[in-house]
Amino acid sequence: MLRSFFLALPLALSPLIAQADATGGIADGLILPLMADLAGSGAALSTAAEADCSPESSDLQAAFHDALDAWVRVSHLRFGPTETDNRAFSLAFWPDSRSKTPKALSAMIAKENPAVAEPASFDEVSIAAQGYYALEFMLFDPAYTELGNAAYRCALVQAQSAGIADKTAAIHHEWVNSFAAEMRDPATRYRNSEEVTQELFKSLLTGLQMTADMRLGRPLGTFERPRPKRAEAYRSGRSLRHVVLTLESLNDLARALAAQDPDVAGSLEAQFDKTLQRAANLHDPVFAGVADPATRFRVEALQQDVLDLHLMAEQQLGPALGVEAGFNSLDGD
Amino acid sequence: MTSRRRFLAGLLAAGAAPAVSWADIGGPAFLSAGKAGDGRYFLGALGADGSLLFRLPLPDRGHAAAAHPTRAEAVAFARRPGRFADVIDCTSGSRIARLEPEEGLHFYGHGVFSPDGSLLFTTENDYDNARGVIGIWDVSAGYRRAGAFASGGIGPHDMRLRRDAPGLVVANGGIETHPDSGRAKLNLGDMRPNLSYLSFDGQQQDLLELEPDLAQNSIRHLSMAADGTTGFAMQWQGDSGDVVPIVGLHRPGENLRLLGADDPRTRNLNGYGGSLAFTKGGSQIAVTSPRGGVVQVFETTSGQMEAQHHIRDVCGLAASSRGMTATSGSGQVLELTGETVHHLGDHPLAWDNHLVPLA
Repeated sequence: MLRSFFLALPLALSPLIAQADATGGIADGLILPLMADLAGSGAALSTAAEADCSPESSDLQAAFHDALDAWVRVSHLRFGPTETDNRAFSLAFWPDSRSKTPKALSAMIAKENPAVAEPASFDEVSIAAQGYYALEFMLFDPAYTELGNAAYRCALVQAQSAGIADKTAAIHHEWVNSFAAEMRDPATRYRNSEEVTQELFKSLLTGLQMTADMRLGRPLGTFERPRPKRAEAYRSGRSLRHVVLTLESLNDLARALAAQDPDVAGSLEAQFDKTLQRAANLHDPVFAGVADPATRFRVEALQQDVLDLHLMAEQQLGPALGVEAGFNSLDGD
Repeated sequence: MTSRRRFLAGLLAAGAAPAVSWADIGGPAFLSAGKAGDGRYFLGALGADGSLLFRLPLPDRGHAAAAHPTRAEAVAFARRPGRFADVIDCTSGSRIARLEPEEGLHFYGHGVFSPDGSLLFTTENDYDNARGVIGIWDVSAGYRRAGAFASGGIGPHDMRLRRDAPGLVVANGGIETHPDSGRAKLNLGDMRPNLSYLSFDGQQQDLLELEPDLAQNSIRHLSMAADGTTGFAMQWQGDSGDVVPIVGLHRPGENLRLLGADDPRTRNLNGYGGSLAFTKGGSQIAVTSPRGGVVQVFETTSGQMEAQHHIRDVCGLAASSRGMTATSGSGQVLELTGETVHHLGDHPLAWDNHLVPLA
């Protein structure tokens, strides 16, 4: 009798305990492996650039794609280790509405800025000249692959790659050594597991919003003025790939967050499937179709699917997790 | 115009006899509109320790409030397009008067008393003419409408008393709206937000406009430093992802300064400043962004960002004795000092956009 009472107790408390376990589990089971990939691919990129810094190097190009894939998969997790010392901004300076990256790169190459020789000094140059998106210019934009002195360009590519390796290693290190524990056993940074859940839920919403507004919205522009050259990473042909990788990663996060509520989990899963299917059928890797009225609507439909996902997460998953929509953030005044 | 000017000067000179003061009612430090757990709207008074001292019901969602300079009397403004502004006796909780906009006008949610408390000024929309208006109310005559003048732009929102000269500074947000279309923005393509410095009788004394590339940055909220520097917070109406400054400082006769323009963390504001406040000594100014879930603190002399605090749905912000006090849509009251965030209170309600300090 006593025994069955004690067995029953955890069941009665199960939703709350399970949610706390789930959030701790997301840090360990979902985020840490992604961060390990981020650091591993960053190190491999630097190794490849040291071995052959030529933009034509297929090894270097492959390492670049792997490394940027790993970044995109964590690009919605903008809290804690990515924000220390502005690591995320110097890894991924995008969108670049004022064209700071090409300006900063042109200036560095024209002056042969010696900061490329030392990681500590390269860390101090404009963040617009650092990270994946600046490296993309050096590897894929014909205006930069031939600009100035070849030896200098090589040193710049190696400095950018080494900087990516350092910063991704630092992010991974901080996650492993302190941040995962803060999410698992909230004490100081988070006061309780509800705040951890809120952080993860916010990153899901942020990732969906960023995908709709930036990754799809910026190239879409308006019907009168489409902006295909604002597509993310179009120089390396990756714009649609970023949408797909983000959605896959957000789908994993949403599934984990919704684990206690099969109905919500089911409807989110179905909407993610529909959205990913539409992305797979688009066959427009850099959203060039936004400028053509005959194909533009297909990109708009994908954007609408992502916005629907956002709404669904906010209206169904939010309440299931006990997280209300923002009273002020939705207000606008 | 001379007669109106003389009339207003007479009102200002007459002053207002002090009745019960803020200190007499137990010293609330702040006012804030809010929404209770049961869905009802109210104006709340908070102690410096984050406690909720009292709350007074409002018929609909509030926005900001104006506190009378001496009497324990406050005006709670409805959220735009506002149809009411309730004058509340904070000693009894009773409503002294309900201000209703004249035909063809609505309130924008902000207002300010004249230095002696004899007049109340309100930002209003003359919507059929797409023209911003400052309404004047005679406090001693029971908040009777005493006139109006042009705000100097479209969409006047926040308004403050000047500290370097007698007069008002108005944030004309530049966005045209009409109650027939709710809160829809009608002119995003040709916005011209400005800061208008106006005398108490509506003469334009100075005007600040932004460069054309920032014309879609709606100037919305203000804070005033003791030396007369106006701090202003903007809300970007252009494409999301455009990187733009959100906080500016201006003093008539001096150059405009935009803060944090080269700091990548300004992106964390999501192009949206919700409230802003100078610290008491004016050495720092902070801005909240409920959309970004952050408070950013800038040093006013260097313009550098000194601290960033992540707080979900944060919006209300006011100077306090130890730094800043912030409020959130999830009911939190927090004290921000240097790098630290101290939780003062967790109330089961939602604090609305603005935390209004009582002198």
